Amino acid sequence: MPNLKDIKRRIRSVKNTQQITKAMKLVAASKLRKAQLAILEARPYAVKMMDVLNHLAARCNSDLHPLLDEREGNKHLFLIITADKGLCGGFNGSIIRKTAEHLKKNPQNENSLIIAGKKGNDIFRNRPVNIVDDHIGWTKDFNYLKAQEIGESLATLFSEKKVDKVFMIYNEFKSVMAQEVIVEQLLPVVPEKLEHKEGSFAVDYIYEPDEEAILDGLLKRYMTVEVCRAFLESSASEHGARMTAMDSATRNAGEMIGALTLTYNQARQAYITKELIEIVNGAEALKG
Amino acid sequence: MTQKLILSIVTPEKQLVSEEVDQVNVPGTEGDMGILYDHAPILTVLRSGQLSYEKEGKTVVLVVSGGYLEVTDNRVTVMAETGEFLKEIDRERAERAQAEAEKRLGETDISEEEYIETQKKLFRAIARLENSESN
Repeated sequence: MPNLKDIKRRIRSVKNTQQITKAMKLVAASKLRKAQLAILEARPYAVKMMDVLNHLAARCNSDLHPLLDEREGNKHLFLIITADKGLCGGFNGSIIRKTAEHLKKNPQNENSLIIAGKKGNDIFRNRPVNIVDDHIGWTKDFNYLKAQEIGESLATLFSEKKVDKVFMIYNEFKSVMAQEVIVEQLLPVVPEKLEHKEGSFAVDYIYEPDEEAILDGLLKRYMTVEVCRAFLESSASEHGARMTAMDSATRNAGEMIGALTLTYNQARQAYITKELIEIVNGAEALKG
Repeated sequence: MTQKLILSIVTPEKQLVSEEVDQVNVPGTEGDMGILYDHAPILTVLRSGQLSYEKEGKTVVLVVSGGYLEVTDNRVTVMAETGEFLKEIDRERAERAQAEAEKRLGETDISEEEYIETQKKLFRAIARLENSESN
């Protein structure tokens, strides 16, 4: 028969856990609101930036700027964005899995990583892959300047031909409940081909001051904006994932408490019955 | 039917404007520009200054700082670093920013990069102040 005291202790411990998960859920929910707003407001700018860059890049030669240079080489650099904390469901795991998949596609010594977030670093630190840089603790103090710094370092690595392609792997914020792992090629910037409709042709722009200056400025800005967007997406996704995970944890804890309470009551009743039988038996024996 | 331009103004923080307008006036680095229907495709850099657009006879004025302007197929896209509607400008803050930037620019231990940054700040503050004077 289960020990009454043990069951009681377990109920108490599950209750404590439930309180913690509930609190974490509330915290995640409030952080999510902020992060969601940030990403929703940053998206239009990023989209427009991409449009304009596409228009411009499609019109001019790819050898006009080092960041447009498509090379044959196979040296890949991945910027992977994970969280600093766990307890957010499959959020970090899916990023790590995707990254491992991509690392396998290429010979080992041709890959390198830049890792943002403690969780990703914990995993890849011990694996045989070249880590160029890490940004542990980014979730605490991320801002536009940080994105700029990262964007510039990526651009430098690329234009010095240390790497031939740069990818970002991050969680895109779909909704509070859903994230999607995205693998995005950041460099070289590949412009979408303009559709050539019958009878129309891509009209060249009037540039002020001149094409190269604008392209250079735009590309730099684009890098920052894209990196910044990826981080914001990741941050919103993280809070969403954590909120969902903690919500289900709270619910599970509730179910567990219910089941344990049932066992506890059954055990208590059995104990009482047993005592009663003992008393009755004792009384019977005395009578005899 | 009147012919309209589709104007959208975005900043990294948010989308400020997305509507159909009759005319847009922007502060280009090489001089101010007015854009009407059927303008040739153009891509240009903006300086800090006043951007206005006309819609149904009414004029709306914003102050933007830096950024790009693209016009294609009667779509006008302004990507500004910052942008505020004239009525939202905080004059006191701009004055403070101007004073600070001027002070910093006068000091000797300033690096080249910081000099450029501070100069930008100064222009931004001046643009805000000049344009909100009329209010």
